[in-house]
Amino acid sequence: MLCSGEELCLKEADYPGAEEYGILILKEDVPTGTDMREILHLNDVIIDFSITSNRPDCQSVLGIAREVAVALKREFRAPTPVYQTAGGDIHDHIAITVQDYDLCPRYMGRIVRNLRIAPSPDWMKDCLRAAGMRPINNIVDITNFVMLETGHPMHAFDLRDIAGNQIIVRRAADGEPITTLDGKDHVLNSDMLVIADAEAPSCLAGIMGGLNSEIKDDTTDLLFECAKFRRDSVRRTARALGMRTESSARFEKGVDTRGTEYAMNRALQLIAELDAGDIIDGVIDCHEELAEDRVLRVTADSITALLGVKIPTDAIVDILNRLEIRTVLEGDTLVCTVPSFRDDIEGRADLAEEVMRVYGYDHIVATPMTGSIIRGKKLPERIHTDLLKSTLIAQGMREISTYSFISSKAPDTLNLAADDARRNAVTLINPLGEEYSTMRTQLVSSMLTVLSTNHNRKNTAVRFFEVSKLFVPHALPLTEQPDEIPALALGLYGDGEDFFTLKGIVETLLERFALRVEFTRSEEPYLHPGRQAAVVAGGEVIGVFGEVHPDTADTYDLGVRTYVAQLTLAPLFAAVEKKHTLYKPLPRFPAVERDLALLCDEELPVAEIERTIRSAGGHLLESVKLFDVYQGAQIAAGKKSVAFSLYFRGADATLTDADIDPALKKIFDRLQEKGCTLRT
Amino acid sequence: MKEQLNALRERALAELADLEQPKELEEFRVRLLGKKGEVTALLRGMGALPAEDRPAMGQLINQLRNELENALDAKEQEITSRLKEQRLLAERLDVTLPGKAADEGGLHPLNIVLADLIDIFQSMGFDVVDGPEVETEHYCFEALNVPKDHPARDMQDTFYLAENLLLRTQTSAAQIRTMEQRKPPIRMICPGRVFRADEVDATHSPVFHQVEGLVVDKGITMCDLKGVLEQFAHEIYGSDTKVRFRPSFFPFTEPSVEVDVSCSACGGKGCRVCKGNGWIEILGAGMVHPRVLAGCGIDPEVYSGFAFGIGLDRLTTTRYKISDIRLLFENDKRFLDQF
Repeated sequence: MLCSGEELCLKEADYPGAEEYGILILKEDVPTGTDMREILHLNDVIIDFSITSNRPDCQSVLGIAREVAVALKREFRAPTPVYQTAGGDIHDHIAITVQDYDLCPRYMGRIVRNLRIAPSPDWMKDCLRAAGMRPINNIVDITNFVMLETGHPMHAFDLRDIAGNQIIVRRAADGEPITTLDGKDHVLNSDMLVIADAEAPSCLAGIMGGLNSEIKDDTTDLLFECAKFRRDSVRRTARALGMRTESSARFEKGVDTRGTEYAMNRALQLIAELDAGDIIDGVIDCHEELAEDRVLRVTADSITALLGVKIPTDAIVDILNRLEIRTVLEGDTLVCTVPSFRDDIEGRADLAEEVMRVYGYDHIVATPMTGSIIRGKKLPERIHTDLLKSTLIAQGMREISTYSFISSKAPDTLNLAADDARRNAVTLINPLGEEYSTMRTQLVSSMLTVLSTNHNRKNTAVRFFEVSKLFVPHALPLTEQPDEIPALALGLYGDGEDFFTLKGIVETLLERFALRVEFTRSEEPYLHPGRQAAVVAGGEVIGVFGEVHPDTADTYDLGVRTYVAQLTLAPLFAAVEKKHTLYKPLPRFPAVERDLALLCDEELPVAEIERTIRSAGGHLLESVKLFDVYQGAQIAAGKKSVAFSLYFRGADATLTDADIDPALKKIFDRLQEKGCTLRT
Repeated sequence: MKEQLNALRERALAELADLEQPKELEEFRVRLLGKKGEVTALLRGMGALPAEDRPAMGQLINQLRNELENALDAKEQEITSRLKEQRLLAERLDVTLPGKAADEGGLHPLNIVLADLIDIFQSMGFDVVDGPEVETEHYCFEALNVPKDHPARDMQDTFYLAENLLLRTQTSAAQIRTMEQRKPPIRMICPGRVFRADEVDATHSPVFHQVEGLVVDKGITMCDLKGVLEQFAHEIYGSDTKVRFRPSFFPFTEPSVEVDVSCSACGGKGCRVCKGNGWIEILGAGMVHPRVLAGCGIDPEVYSGFAFGIGLDRLTTTRYKISDIRLLFENDKRFLDQF
């Protein structure tokens, strides 16, 4: 196959001639049929490591090698950086000042002159490419190579571009500009650390160099930087500017303050090895007092006590020493000196982990729980929620689960008034999108969405419920945690479903929780104006239910009569707490039934008639059951016929007419006051 | 007279044999034995007989009467049972026709699995607690040893609601609330909804669910942690399931482990389900970090504990082999009806 270098995404540095226009011509000595991966040195083995954030020391080849040596019980050998210098004195070329040690605990500089910029040797290019980096030239490649090998980001400045021969590590001035070497302009603030020369910022500390001081093909002298920048500072700046580089990633996780020296020397050794320039004598190393290696004193017993595994003390000492945590035994105390690159090791729990992961987690034997606790308890709310769900499930309802955040437009889809309290919702600062931007203050819109999905997928009948939380803020903008109010949504459609099937479910639920309520007309904009009711308990509206308003049904593309309810659950839970079920003896004498057919104004609510009958019926009236409501041919306009069965029962005798008549008389009288007449 | 009786007997029995309907039988009974029936008429006619013949004749007539009554009863029984048989035969059903079931309700699959978890842990003495979904940075991060700007905060992209308020990214926040409110011994799980700024796809949802576990007492070790998790794994994945710890890192536990169970699909030999390595990662756990204990006023020199966090959605999708987590939140009835 004939390809151009460009088609293979190759650069000149990957293979000579790769950037020339036309077919890529391979060298004469490449035998025909050779695998292209061999020619491009792409057949290396690459191992991916997932490094936990507590182990920044392992973000380097040396760090991993150290771990591998411990695991395999082999000796760990790092390269020893030695090199020849060319004389001179760094102080003749540069002065370095650190103004903000709180953000830059250490800053080290070296000078290399008479650069001989050239492509790196193949072995170095191969390493860089295998690590996902593009070879540029020997100088830039050395900085990247050292970073990959040691974990220390390095930076190289073109010395001639450092104004006043001065490096100043300082916070940026508010509004100070910089152009980074990716060509982007940034405006800085005083929270951001820069490496500046006498005039202007030249580099975003630990993140990216400036365009003006980068290494160019004709650069002759350079300043190498190897530093330790505070990780939270780098993280904040990188975030604020929307930048993330190999360098910033390492500084954010943490770089060893002491290791800078080794990294710098390794870079200079490579300069010498690649004959890339002349190393000037002298180092400028700015730092405040470097912390001593920490010494931890713990007993072996305190380590094994946490693990529950008996590990011989000499094995513990051996493991820690192999990890370069220098450990000696004084009596029964382990005295452990923690190297600076392991600042994650703070105490016995950390040492226990080090010991255990090397000793082997397979030594941990499962032991059953013991102790005084026998059986766990559920919170009352959870017990009540279980009861709620089982009651609904018994009525053929399926539980659904929807997101807690919804579209900010949800109140509009429900036609909520401009001043409706449910519009006061908590919003997310960084939502995934508008449709997930608002913490819900009602469950109805989510329910309608689910009902719509089901209807449009031709599911002909559904009964759904959801138990979730409403997020009700105390004040906006939010200053404290909002109230999280447990609530229930019901939703259904299908043949045979109507306002009263939904009401029946609501009533069954309320009865199960022993909550006495009244149903009154309500005025939810998303419900049918004549087919909705409020559930009122103790004078407080705890929910509404009804048929969805045709306009809302259209909004949700629900081409079917749909019924929804929402209830807050606290009143139900409070009621059920007080519910105390006691057995009532079964009746010994038969009930006497009297039917009552009434004619009344059509606007008179049946519930009011029933209430009147019950209150007038006296103690013998056991139950009242509506069996017919009729309007039509035989009934005068504006009137309706309502028929009840009344059941009377005595505790110790079968009732006679004489017993019942006084109660009936009283009921008639009261009903007459309401404008009811007896139908004959 | 005797001949008359015999003739009546023969005629009646012959007629009776032909009867098929209960109504005919009743008419026949009335015609023979009713007040104006033939046998009754015979009894009445005895007045015409000489007095000395009457007893013998009376006896004969009564005999006939009894005989006919018995025959009638037998016939009645025969007709009833024949009719019953006919009815039963006529009422034969095609028993393969579908039943008339009411539409059954049910829990959401996530909550079916959660109910199992609660049962398992409750029986091991774990209380089941709740915590708020909107948390402060203190409970979600700082008290869990994740200070501001700590790289560990990179592990989770957090939805913020205000300066210091966020949607909890982990139920671990409930550890702190529990330890602040209660003194050891503590054994609790906290199931709940958590939020992370993950774009929605087949395996990610910005809303998902965890079950946090926490034990704090004197002398709690990593072996106890393994004991509890092994019990859990046996109940969920089967009693021959093995549990493996791998070193990991969570800011609020030290040592921290990832917990794997042997793949139940292949028994640990390696298959497509476990991507060939025989183990499936199920949760993160560890010994409660001494700094977390101390921050809640519990002396880490006296008490120790462990914590674990189970991903409920993942557990649910693996149990039911649900290929796309979005199905859990779409709530298609045909999906929900399967559980």
